Amino acid sequence: MVLGLVKGLGITLKNMTKPRVTYRYPDEPLKMPDRFRGIQYLDPEKCIVCNQCARICPTDCIQLTGKKNPDPEKKGKVLDTFDINFEICILCDLCTEVCPTEAIVMTNNYELAVYSRDELFKDIRWLHENNQNIRSENSTNLIKKPGGKTT
Amino acid sequence: MSLLAILAPVLLLVIVLAFVTYAILFERKVIGWMQNRIGPNRVGPWGMLQTVADVFKLLIKEDVIPEKADRALFKLAPAIAFVPAFAVLAVIPFTETWKFTDFAVGLLYYMAVSSITIIGIMVGGWASNNKYALLGGMRSAAQMISYEIPLVMSVVGIIMTTGSLNLNDIVHSQKHVWFIFPQIIGFLVFLIAAVSELNRTPFDLPEAESELVAGYHVEYTGFRFAFFMLAEYVYVFAMASLTTVLYLGGWNAPFGLTIIPPIIWFILKFLLVVFFLFWLRATMPRIRVDQLMQFAWKVLLPLAIFNIFLTAVLKEVPGIGHFY
Repeated sequence: MVLGLVKGLGITLKNMTKPRVTYRYPDEPLKMPDRFRGIQYLDPEKCIVCNQCARICPTDCIQLTGKKNPDPEKKGKVLDTFDINFEICILCDLCTEVCPTEAIVMTNNYELAVYSRDELFKDIRWLHENNQNIRSENSTNLIKKPGGKTT
Repeated sequence: MSLLAILAPVLLLVIVLAFVTYAILFERKVIGWMQNRIGPNRVGPWGMLQTVADVFKLLIKEDVIPEKADRALFKLAPAIAFVPAFAVLAVIPFTETWKFTDFAVGLLYYMAVSSITIIGIMVGGWASNNKYALLGGMRSAAQMISYEIPLVMSVVGIIMTTGSLNLNDIVHSQKHVWFIFPQIIGFLVFLIAAVSELNRTPFDLPEAESELVAGYHVEYTGFRFAFFMLAEYVYVFAMASLTTVLYLGGWNAPFGLTIIPPIIWFILKFLLVVFFLFWLRATMPRIRVDQLMQFAWKVLLPLAIFNIFLTAVLKEVPGIGHFY
């Protein structure tokens, strides 16, 4: 029994020299794993205004409008407004899954704490500027590898 | 001389308060490191102002006295608990010259005065008019009275060797051999009983937050609560000093390293004991309440008495007799 006490003291003493396992979170951002479902990044250039993201959204938090392409030579619509209401967005990844052109993709950003609920209503510009830590599979500068796999 | 007589205790109080401030920080740091954490590091550089902030918070808190509490006793209890904690420091010799008294029965004075704190704790528990506070106070009284006996018995070996209760004489007689070596059984009993007297883990039953929601000071808030905490940490100071004086040779330098001043030696040994207390807290779970009393009366007390007999016998053995 006495040996056990000494052994326990030894373990705690050894632990003192081991590296710390805590994160310095607010000082240093946490690195999220790949395929983390974070705040969406939007590329308005790619969007074809197919409305699929708004339709699949389980909480109806996406609202978008399109307008006729200003270039009369080209067919189709371009994106005019695009808003996500992060009060109700559940970051379920469905809008990015369904997007045929990968105009909307996930990032690893997750800090959505604000002082007013109004600030959670993010528009097209904010979503476009949210261009850090984009999910690597959807990153615009994909490195093609033989066999079609990307890293 | 009279000016010094006033200033010196004030200086000691300042030193003790500074010690308490940083002992609490260091305790949290050490426990943090042992649990692979960092410990407090937000308030001030390296968390240096953490305790200051904590104490400041306590001071600006509302002073709540429960309606059905015994108001007079409720207010008196923290003072009864704290005053003996500071009073016992009077007999601790820090170095040859830095001491307050040359008291003939210094050790006895320490033991006697330190037990007054139990009354403060019991009064606090009773006056709160709260069942958990009363339970904590009763447990505390039972524990501290029981462990006082092995604590005193364990130092009898030293008293027999030195032939004196004067702490200065006890340090002087450790010039060549510290009492930790000939009195190893006494030292272990003393250390365990001392941890128990301090109400620290693994003997922190009086304030077991998981069982008694804090023990005797549940109803205390703000400044009065701070006083109980202060008393506890001043006892850490006192008990670490006493352990240093009794068993680790006080200010005596080991290996004849007298170039380093005696006060530094005292502080080093003192800090070693303090670190041991924190280390123990990070390691040990709380002892079970039904084993607590049995341990004191059936293990520690017989061991302490055995140590007295051993000292008496070995005193007569030629060759090693002069160690005892």
